[in-house]
Amino acid sequence: MPATTEYQGSFLGRISIRRNQVMNMDGNHDQELEDIELFQRHIADRFADLLSSSQQQQPPSSEEASTPAAAVDPFLSINWLRKLLDVFLCCEAEFKAMLIMGRDPSQISKPPLDRLIPEMLDRAVKALDICNAVTNGIETVRHCQNLAEIVVTALEQKPFCDGQVKRAKKALSSLMMAMTGEDKEGGSYTRTWSFGRRGSAAAASNKDRGHLHLRSHTWSVSKNWSAAKQIQAMTANLQAPRGNEASGLASPVFIMSTVIVFLMWTMVAAIPCQERNGLATHFPVPKQLVWAQSMIALHEKIGEEWKKKEKKGSVGLLDEMQTLEKSAHSLIEFADNFQFPAEEERVEEVAAQVAEVADTCRKMAEGLVPLQLQIREVFHRIVRSRTEILDVLESTGKVSAPIV
Amino acid sequence: MAGYQSMIPIHEREQHVIAAAHHILKALGATKNLSDDMRKILADLDVHLSIMNGHNESNGGGGIVEVEKRLKRAEIKVLSWDSSQTMIWDSGSREVSEYLGAVVEIQTVKQSLGGLSLIENGKVKECLYRANSVLQMAMSRLEEELVHILLQHKQYFEPEYTFFHSCQEDLVYDESFVSLEDESVEETYQRVSSDDVSGEHIVDLVHPRVIPDLKSIANVMFASNYDQEFCEAFIGVRKDALNVVILAMEKFSIEDVLKMKWFTLSSEIKKWIWSMKIIIRVYLASEKQLCNKILGEFGSVCSFCFVEIAKASLLSLLNFGEAVAMGSLRPEKLFHLLDMYEVLSDLLVDIDSLLFEEVSSYVRIEFHELLRKLSHYARATFFELRSAIVSDTSVKPLPRGGIHPLTRYVMNYIKALIIYDHTINMLLEDQDMDCSNPVTELENEQQVSSSITSCALACQLRLITSALECNLDNKSKLYKEDALRYIFLMNNIHYMVQKVKNSDLRHFFGDEWIRKHNGKFQQHATSYQRATWSSVLSFLRVDGSPVSCSILKATTPKERCKEFSIAFEEVYKNQTQWSITDPQLQEDLRIANLKVIHAYRSFLGITRISDKHIKYSVDDLEKLLLDFFEGSRRPLRNSHRR
Repeated sequence: MPATTEYQGSFLGRISIRRNQVMNMDGNHDQELEDIELFQRHIADRFADLLSSSQQQQPPSSEEASTPAAAVDPFLSINWLRKLLDVFLCCEAEFKAMLIMGRDPSQISKPPLDRLIPEMLDRAVKALDICNAVTNGIETVRHCQNLAEIVVTALEQKPFCDGQVKRAKKALSSLMMAMTGEDKEGGSYTRTWSFGRRGSAAAASNKDRGHLHLRSHTWSVSKNWSAAKQIQAMTANLQAPRGNEASGLASPVFIMSTVIVFLMWTMVAAIPCQERNGLATHFPVPKQLVWAQSMIALHEKIGEEWKKKEKKGSVGLLDEMQTLEKSAHSLIEFADNFQFPAEEERVEEVAAQVAEVADTCRKMAEGLVPLQLQIREVFHRIVRSRTEILDVLESTGKVSAPIV
Repeated sequence: MAGYQSMIPIHEREQHVIAAAHHILKALGATKNLSDDMRKILADLDVHLSIMNGHNESNGGGGIVEVEKRLKRAEIKVLSWDSSQTMIWDSGSREVSEYLGAVVEIQTVKQSLGGLSLIENGKVKECLYRANSVLQMAMSRLEEELVHILLQHKQYFEPEYTFFHSCQEDLVYDESFVSLEDESVEETYQRVSSDDVSGEHIVDLVHPRVIPDLKSIANVMFASNYDQEFCEAFIGVRKDALNVVILAMEKFSIEDVLKMKWFTLSSEIKKWIWSMKIIIRVYLASEKQLCNKILGEFGSVCSFCFVEIAKASLLSLLNFGEAVAMGSLRPEKLFHLLDMYEVLSDLLVDIDSLLFEEVSSYVRIEFHELLRKLSHYARATFFELRSAIVSDTSVKPLPRGGIHPLTRYVMNYIKALIIYDHTINMLLEDQDMDCSNPVTELENEQQVSSSITSCALACQLRLITSALECNLDNKSKLYKEDALRYIFLMNNIHYMVQKVKNSDLRHFFGDEWIRKHNGKFQQHATSYQRATWSSVLSFLRVDGSPVSCSILKATTPKERCKEFSIAFEEVYKNQTQWSITDPQLQEDLRIANLKVIHAYRSFLGITRISDKHIKYSVDDLEKLLLDFFEGSRRPLRNSHRR
């Protein structure tokens, strides 16, 4: 992630050097205001970039065929999410520099920060669990990728014949199952052994038959954990600072909390995740805040998509999964009605679809593992920042209530 | 096979060559002990020859008919099983090898026909089409058989979970330092040993009898390019099997772990330690071997499958560790953290060897990272003890001057700690140590005989006890009576010395420390004596020695004797309530107090006061002195009076 390191280096360096100078001179309020303003501007810029990159691409599927796809990463695609994660890492580094480095620690244990910071740390912990659930969700996506690859292997063989079409059909039905069964099972993998009549006969004499029908549930987090509820809890006490507070450190704390909520919410919406039913689409950020404009626009855009897709057993809004789902539907239709030899016209159509699936699989193969690693990086970053902030609080000796 | 084209002009000689080749193949095929590969090659050749023959004879005549016949036979086999209710692998080895033979036959036919791309013969096309369909049917069937065998012959390894039973009651250090008695520490604190699952413990997760069956299915499916389906099914079933094991371990969110009560957390940590060992040393090591046995020949596929099976369970173990390492610094956690650290550093070798491939390097690195975090956290927790001691303040003195719970806590804590000496020294050496403390310097002047006394842990332990002494000294200032203050200090330092002397702590503290602290509590005992008796004894001064205390108004022996009795009664009332729990120390101090008796006896002897003025006889006093330091108030009974 060259972008990340570049940003980090420059911001951290600049802020810390300058702050050290200022701290020596006493009276750093103006500097603080300037820092906050700069931070807001960076937030606005970065999210504006994300927004513009998601608007450039109008019709999501046809565009890929006409223009070289290399230029733009489709909205909510793996690469787009990676950009978002990069943005988060940059904001986070900048935020921490502002909050901790060179600052008098007693400042963050005074009102209103004495309340806002523990709330933020609480959000951080919830975010960690979401990171884990999403990492696990990516395994589901990878599973779908593996199944889609079987479809490609089968249908890339020409001419289409009954055997390969059946093979594809089998993989497609597993794929659909993996895509839809997710939220209900609440677990990671939902393979179901498609035993025919024989299966049940064999199973009857099999002491393990429970495994054939009753899938063992695996929760990625804990049993009753729900991504939707976590997002809800993270949003619940998120309030824009008002009055005097708006000009102080309460403002970047609010901004950072908003960014983290936005990131987690987007990931939950995009990637299959434990229990997403009732995922809120409300974003409690006042529309007049300049830095939040692009973020709000993105939120609305994703929210609309979510509302559209939520009802029909969502696979998540991840662009690649949406593509797979669409292709899978039409390929299933093709496979159901297949008769040898296939019509010439149909063959071309299917070939195009298979090529698209193959292309999607390639993108997944390239992007999913780096995405997982990046989420892990975000995880570690959140852990580290939390520890650092707790250390500062500890040193002021003012943490009376245990902080989770 | 590029040579086919040139063969088309028929020569009789070639016909002979083909016929001869057929014969050779038949002869070779009749040989037993042929490897599967060899058999396949022969079958392959056979088909080729048939097709060549066919072409040579009459343009799509006899040869293809022969191939078609063979396909038909194989097709019948596959179809007959397709409608059957029983599983092939349950029906005996003959059925199995016939079925596998049929599949190989189809593959061969398919490959050979596919190779003949130039032949736009309708018959060939149709054969190819049929071969594809039958092959798909067979592959689908083999996948079912695979799953069936894996499930049917799955074996569980059920290790005893010993910790649950032996260690239910856990040492709970609470913040007020009061819940701890010596016995509870010694009896309940059991270190989670990392030796009980040492070395490799490979078990058969699937009955060894069916390994060749699984392998043959793998071979056939891979040969037919159905490797993806094989892996899909294999990973799925094995992952489920592993999940059953993991499910015994409840999963927690990080939030849950951070909010967990210490008691619950401590038992979950023990489960984690146990699961780590069992899952990594037994389950995953065995799983890896299973993968190797079945898929070893297929290179990277083997490690891919293993990682897919293992990843979720490894990540879940990892996350619990991460969550624990995020918790607050509390001294009571140290033991468990050290256990976690030890088990993980122990298991890293295993993790490294299980996950040495590129595909899994990220999980491996995460475990190394966790170890680093745990070491950092354990070290910080270790230092936390001293800060906890320093910041422990009381407002009221401990009644009766006994052993303060803090003293018990600290001494038992460090006593339990030294079994981890190796690990702690390692953790401490990572850190730049500051040993230039007066306590240690003093000791460094002496010749430090053993190396244990000078190790990093020993250094820290002395810093801890000197922080404790300092704290006790502050606490002692809360007493209004000097004598009780000395009893308190004596009791506590004596306790410390005893703990050190009677355990392995003595190696860490060294003789010098013990000698010095023996001196300290004896000093306090002497101070106690002086504080208690000097004023009382002043009443008994005889033979004209100047009365030092000007408060003394009584001048006649009779009056002084009376004053003495009153003063003694006062001491008695107080000091019978005070407490010295150590019987030896109690005894020693009572004996020391006997000097009052000597003074009294000689006073009575010299002054010859008549008995009626004497409230207590020497014997009375001696008996009364025995009531001292029992820790309960005693009334002066009348029986002592004459």
